Amino acid sequence: MFPSPLALIAEITHRCPLHCVYCSNPIEMAAAQSELSTSEWTSVFQQAGKLGMLHAHFTGGEPLARADLTELIAAARAAGLYTNLITSGVGLPDERLQTLVAAGLDHIQVSFQDSRDEAAHWIAGAKAHAHKIDLARAIRRHKVAFTVNLVVHRQNLDHLEEMIAFIQQLEPERIEIAHAQYYGWALANRAALMPTREHVENALAIVESAEERLAGRIRIDSVVPDYYAKYPKACMGGWGQRLMLINPAGKVLPCHAAEVLPGLSFENVREKTLEWIWQESPSFCRFRGEGWMPEPCRSCERRTEDFGGCRCQAFLLAGDATATDPACSLAPSHHLVESAVSDANSRAISAHSHPAGSFVKLQAQTRDHWKYRTNRE
Amino acid sequence: MAPPNDSSQPRLAAGCRWAPSDKTGTEENRMILFPEGAIKLQGTGRQVLERCDGQRSFGEIIADLQKEFRAADPQKIRADISVFLEQLQRRRIVDY
Repeated sequence: MFPSPLALIAEITHRCPLHCVYCSNPIEMAAAQSELSTSEWTSVFQQAGKLGMLHAHFTGGEPLARADLTELIAAARAAGLYTNLITSGVGLPDERLQTLVAAGLDHIQVSFQDSRDEAAHWIAGAKAHAHKIDLARAIRRHKVAFTVNLVVHRQNLDHLEEMIAFIQQLEPERIEIAHAQYYGWALANRAALMPTREHVENALAIVESAEERLAGRIRIDSVVPDYYAKYPKACMGGWGQRLMLINPAGKVLPCHAAEVLPGLSFENVREKTLEWIWQESPSFCRFRGEGWMPEPCRSCERRTEDFGGCRCQAFLLAGDATATDPACSLAPSHHLVESAVSDANSRAISAHSHPAGSFVKLQAQTRDHWKYRTNRE
Repeated sequence: MAPPNDSSQPRLAAGCRWAPSDKTGTEENRMILFPEGAIKLQGTGRQVLERCDGQRSFGEIIADLQKEFRAADPQKIRADISVFLEQLQRRRIVDY
């Protein structure tokens, strides 16, 4: 029997009012009418609780777009799960926040795109920055843990210190400095998001100094982006090792990107139990153990630490889900990452002008630069 | 952040709580859940945190455990528990 998963990522909707260029949602999103119902999610949480899972991470799209979010959080708590809301903060006035906390919300993580209003508008394709600041103030009036997730990349790493100082005064318990990862929309926009070497090195020093300065008050988490690291990330803690994601239509995945992989058939909670899916399904078993590993992974002493990196990234970059993640310096296809890095360091960083008033005009204005995330029609 | 003093009132930080009792493996362990994970507690660590209810003072908790562990050096108990709580405070699991 394989050990139980630790956490459930409940991707409850792909609907979202924002258009962030770094979004890792699949470009092909689940339609609103295919979404699991309140009672279907309730059954999922009960199964997750019985399976021994500890955390439920509510995400999307924008989870606040679900009108039944309060019921979902209550259902997850009733099933014995710790509840974590990962949100842009758009659609959370104070009364709704109170309701969620009363329903048992343990932790809220709010994304910030920048310290500057206009820059945040560029990245998110919407004017959400002021809302987020209001929300941060409201959160401090409630007994709920608060993390700010700051997404960093080529467009904002030049003023990381300013952004940390800005976030600090919102008084979260934790700050996550999240280097954009290249899946979904972010992969399409990779050239505009890839930091320079200088960005990455400066960020390391700035974060280290901020950690010391804020020790005991605010905890900072940050990971070197894998394109600039020697070894790949242990993606999701390994395929089917610790985490399970359920997408809005009930499909059970080992991560948010796995649907891009050819030749894999993923199960649905409407048809099978979570326990069977975790323990027995071909999709979850596919990349467990070492039998699937090619060299150099198979003989590598790091194989039990990073599992050869990310399967989805291996497929997206090298066309082969069984290959060593190209982010690994030992990967035969490492040149794919090296050339993207080299390109990022030889191009000038393009400057912005003022974002256009409407989203449609903003899309036209940036047409040659990047693609904004858009919902299905 | 300084170590706790006798009048500090240690408690679990916001968003940190004990897992429901059916989540624990055995009678021995209990778990504390926090945003990015969980820690398993047994023995002295567990006994310390169970007393961190925001009412009892650090001084009271130490005195209680010094009585409980009569055979151990009372100064060592104080020092160890102080370090333990400081580490958890840095991780933002405990406040005092």
